[in-house]
Amino acid sequence: MVRVELRGILKKWEGFKLGISDLVVEDGEFLTLLGPSGCGKTTTLRMIAGFETPNGGEIIFDGKPVNDLPPYERNIGIVFQDYALFPHMTVFKNVAFGLEMKRLPKLEIDRKVKWALEIVGLAGLEKRYPEQLSGGQQQRVALARALVVEPEVLLLDEPLSNLDAKIRERLRGEIKRIQRELGITTIYVTHDQEEAMAVSDRIAVMNVGKVEQVGKPLELYYKPRTEFVARFLGISNILELRAVGGRACLGGLCFKTPRDGRIRIFFRPESVYIKSGKTAEVVDYELLPGRIRLKLEIDGKSLIAERFLNELPFSVEEIPEHVDIKVRNFSVLGK
Amino acid sequence: MRSKVGLLLLIPLTFLIIFFYVPLISIIKTGLWNGGFTLKYLSSVLQNDYHRRVILFTVEQAIASTLLTLAFGLPGAYIFARYDFPGKGIIKSLLTVPFVMPSVMVALGYILLFGKDGIITGLLGHDLGILYSWKGILLAHAFYNFPIVIRMVSSLWQRINPHYEEAAMALGAKGWRLFWRVTLPMLSPAIFASAMLTFVFCFLSFSIPLIIGGYQYATIEVDIFTSVMTLLDFRTGAALAIIQITLSVAFMYLYLRSLDAYAKREEQRVFRKPLPFTRWDWLSLKGLAIAFYSFLVFIFIVSPLLAVLYDSLRFNGHWSLEWYSRIFSAKYNPMFGVTTLGAIRNSLAFGFTTIFLSLIVTLPIAYALHRWRFTGKRLFDVLAMLPLASSPITLGLGYIKVFHTTPLYYTFWIVAVAHTVIAYPFMLRAVSTSLKKIRPNLFEAALSLGAREWKAFIKVELPLALGGLIVGSVFAFAISIAELGATYMLAKPEYTTMTVAIYKFLGARQFGGASALSVLLMVVSTLGFLAIERIGEEVW
Repeated sequence: MVRVELRGILKKWEGFKLGISDLVVEDGEFLTLLGPSGCGKTTTLRMIAGFETPNGGEIIFDGKPVNDLPPYERNIGIVFQDYALFPHMTVFKNVAFGLEMKRLPKLEIDRKVKWALEIVGLAGLEKRYPEQLSGGQQQRVALARALVVEPEVLLLDEPLSNLDAKIRERLRGEIKRIQRELGITTIYVTHDQEEAMAVSDRIAVMNVGKVEQVGKPLELYYKPRTEFVARFLGISNILELRAVGGRACLGGLCFKTPRDGRIRIFFRPESVYIKSGKTAEVVDYELLPGRIRLKLEIDGKSLIAERFLNELPFSVEEIPEHVDIKVRNFSVLGK
Repeated sequence: MRSKVGLLLLIPLTFLIIFFYVPLISIIKTGLWNGGFTLKYLSSVLQNDYHRRVILFTVEQAIASTLLTLAFGLPGAYIFARYDFPGKGIIKSLLTVPFVMPSVMVALGYILLFGKDGIITGLLGHDLGILYSWKGILLAHAFYNFPIVIRMVSSLWQRINPHYEEAAMALGAKGWRLFWRVTLPMLSPAIFASAMLTFVFCFLSFSIPLIIGGYQYATIEVDIFTSVMTLLDFRTGAALAIIQITLSVAFMYLYLRSLDAYAKREEQRVFRKPLPFTRWDWLSLKGLAIAFYSFLVFIFIVSPLLAVLYDSLRFNGHWSLEWYSRIFSAKYNPMFGVTTLGAIRNSLAFGFTTIFLSLIVTLPIAYALHRWRFTGKRLFDVLAMLPLASSPITLGLGYIKVFHTTPLYYTFWIVAVAHTVIAYPFMLRAVSTSLKKIRPNLFEAALSLGAREWKAFIKVELPLALGGLIVGSVFAFAISIAELGATYMLAKPEYTTMTVAIYKFLGARQFGGASALSVLLMVVSTLGFLAIERIGEEVW
């Protein structure tokens, strides 16, 4: 297994520039590149795989630059969005392909293919052709094919986006389990923040060709540094306030701040706690399964609160016109 | 990368330069150079009444043939795109037949049907005047090209998203207005591309006008042939060839452009299911129209072949295998330098050699065009496809000019090479089209699993392009065994092929022998036809 570093990576093409000054994926770590379409996450993955060449900078596997190595010498495994299973080969042949390229003896190939298919739970389907498999099964074959060569880095490019929601949730759990079992350095590309939070050790959020922030899922979720990261990961309350003497206040609701002047306070809807009172006006509300989302207004500024129904100090039938609120977990966004 | 490009392309490029571009330049030199640049030969051709009429007729008959082909093909395209009916599979298979049927044989079929003693002439009691006139040429050209129109247009028709028409209908369009305003504009790339292809084929047509048009209805191709082979007038031949190449390159350019537009539309993944046909539908007007059309297609395609088969089995007014035993007896073939078995052997040898040489030329070019980006790639693509716009007679003329002093001249190989230059663009198109359909991810997946580029190509892409490769090979084979002009000009008597032998039989008015030989040729062609059907790939 290896540690992957991207140093000063630059990639330009018509009307687009991608720059990653410094990104490290630790040995055995599961790192996700998360961002909207067109942010450069797939291009980054393709540069690590060796399908694209950066215009500048270095891609380093365990201290060795691999920029000049073609894909077939990088010892990687990759799973594509559309799986890219070879349609003219059986499941067995697909999985065995990489081993045959290494000219392993037949017995060893048989043993390893069996191992890989067992890991992904597809033992017994060796003789099927890709078109005879369901989407989920094809995805597993693609994963087995990538894993069987014991790659140093596993690259996954939106591997679940062509699947139904239910299968997607089950498979992402399995990908995570297999990754932990094998301890393989993994780079995962997705635009789905929930998926990213569920599987990753760390997430790198990307936006228009730049890495905005790297961190553990909950760290990014609760302590985003930019508005983009905040909004991309979920519903956000962002209050623009003026801080004086280390405090910024909005109608009796005060936040301790590290500096004075114009400041942006960020918190998630579930960080807003509700009591009976008069500070905030209840403008609207929405019922969700087991939860309620309240739209509140204080001094003309809107914010959103979300609570489990059984935590409310009042019943859903008689929602008061005003409430008091308290914010537990907030952060200050950068400028 | 640059050096690899050069290395891989060395063989096909050298081949093309020596066997296509050098002869081409030599023709241009013959026509425009005599101690210095001169327009003498060109202008004397253009001022000559006969040659001028030939040039005009070539264009006129190509336009008329194209219109006739469209008139016959478009209803078929509609029927094939819209309806599923019993027997559709058979009609669809029949449409492949003209692709692999040598034109000498079809011309013979028309003689046997429409000639003075022809079958149809006999049935009707009078001569329809089709043979030895422009009517016969148009009919034979439609025979060859209407399947192209049906295939290309119906393929696009099925891919038009029904929502467009439904939206137009919801807005009040119906019937002709719907077709005229919505459907037709969306079909136009297919109609235009198939029409352009038909036009180019008809423009360069040789055997058909040579045999059933006669001296009066000659095309430029026939005119070059007679100028060179009968009158030994190389200057006039070269001047005519220059005019022909200039025009055909322009037409071919239009065709390739229209093909781009067509290919873009054809990529749409929408696939409309044809409407199934119930028993009662046959009794509706639509059903009757479809039945009638299918019947016409059947008659159109099968009748010349049946006429040849019938004639080969008739001797002095009764059923007999006499013609077959005659063509195999050594005494009965005063016209050519080999026995019938020898001609069969020659045809097969040229056919397989053409496949082999075409593969050598095609595969590196297809790989380079598919895999690499390099400067001048577009130009390279055009230069590689240019032989498609040249004609066998022009090629033959060029070879006589360039190689008549070399040891290559009059050998087996010069004929095989000529066949390859004529055939390989078709193979290149077939292979490139199948390569384009392969998702690029598969290649990348193979690389990520440790396969080198060429290994990924051989293990993953080539097997997936096998259909195109086989169709291309069958094409090369069919073109080689059907080829008449260049073979006639370049082969010495002992390399006479079946096609040339049939032509010589025709020249001697020995129709029975020509028919029996044609039936043998038909057997060989049918094998090619079955191969295409087995692969099940669309030919165009």
